[in-house]
Amino acid sequence: MIVLDPAHGGADPGARGEGLLEKDIVLEMARTVRAELERQGYRVVMTRNDDSNPSYDERAAMANAYRDSIFITLHISSTGQPGTARAYFDQAAAAAPPAPGAATPNVASPAPPPGLLPWDQAQQTESDASRKLADAIQAHLAQLFPGSAGAAAPAAVRGLRSVAAPAAAIEIASVSVPKPESLTALAAPLATALVRGIAAFRAVDPNGAK
Amino acid sequence: MSRNLKLALGILAVAVLIGAVSFGKMHRRMARLGETQSSENRARQEVLTPPITTPTDTVVKAKIFWAAAPDQLAPVETELPLSADPVQRARQLVHALIASPPTPAQRTIPADAALLGFYILPDGTAVADFSDPLASETPSGIMSEQMAVNSLARTLENNVATLRRLKILIHGQEVDTLSGNVDLTGIFDLHPPGQPAALGAAPPALSAPGTSATPPSPAAKLPAAPPSPAGSSARTSH
Repeated sequence: MIVLDPAHGGADPGARGEGLLEKDIVLEMARTVRAELERQGYRVVMTRNDDSNPSYDERAAMANAYRDSIFITLHISSTGQPGTARAYFDQAAAAAPPAPGAATPNVASPAPPPGLLPWDQAQQTESDASRKLADAIQAHLAQLFPGSAGAAAPAAVRGLRSVAAPAAAIEIASVSVPKPESLTALAAPLATALVRGIAAFRAVDPNGAK
Repeated sequence: MSRNLKLALGILAVAVLIGAVSFGKMHRRMARLGETQSSENRARQEVLTPPITTPTDTVVKAKIFWAAAPDQLAPVETELPLSADPVQRARQLVHALIASPPTPAQRTIPADAALLGFYILPDGTAVADFSDPLASETPSGIMSEQMAVNSLARTLENNVATLRRLKILIHGQEVDTLSGNVDLTGIFDLHPPGQPAALGAAPPALSAPGTSATPPSPAAKLPAAPPSPAGSSARTSH
């Protein structure tokens, strides 16, 4: 199952440009991506299909409810070179182990019962898979969005933290484009990049979404 | 051409002329207003966070991390008088990071953001409390928000050796995200030079709230139940 997450929504517009709201553009793009993924035989569910704003936990719960799901959250930035795109994975995947003797001030929290995973750390068990997923998608974004970076980047994206599945955030630049249609025109190449990236990820991780 | 038509055209031409002149004046007024506001912002910044001097200040070459590209930081060696006291030293560095980017394009933290408080806990955790503009004026976006956090973390970790972790507050409160995307509920690990993390290779790692940065042991696919709505993570919009 592919869980597509158009970021923000409702009272949270996300990035704002001249007459452009991130929440509206990502919803439109998600619909295009969904249609393309379904054409390729994937099962797809969207975290929202209207101007609502599910909580981060509600969005994550949709992915966590399925076995072998993939979570993709779609964003538009305020800044950056227009027409470029970047995939991000949860930055815990890039974390170096704490230095010997480094302080860990908040370790007083009780450990969860065996077999359970703290909700706030759910993504950490998927670090490797998420990094592979983001890299696979970024390889195709770089081909279809000229000027984009060649590799995915780690980031502390709030919407990824509680997802217990391979997860990536895709951010397209930007709401500051002079013409709205130049952004919406990017939905088709975005869909192509995601289809190809997910297929490449599944090739290296057969347990990926069906 | 009838007399009435000529008259109407004449009135229209005068109206267009008056409109053009008024628009020009309005445009100049707006520009002046913008300059005034910018000057006021600078003056307010000076009042809010005046340069900090201490008896132990020594001029050193500090590494301040500003933007080298929209998605890339680079250190700029800057001669700064820095205190021997870690708290004052950190305040001086944050002040320089906000007040003195070499060019506007290199800015990572809004000019109106002010450091309201800075504390260091005995275990090396730094708590940086910023004014509202850090959240309200950082451009919304994963890249821009992560750049702001990284520039702060790397500037501190490269110039204040005793710091190990960084917690960012907004006006004394923990907030869900910086400007709608990047998680501020956790604590960022800092890696001073000589420690494992490679400089510039990755952003500071974020520890989940109430935990260390150590990954959890392998566990079941499904996580435990989400926190209650009263928890900070229930907040979804900035």
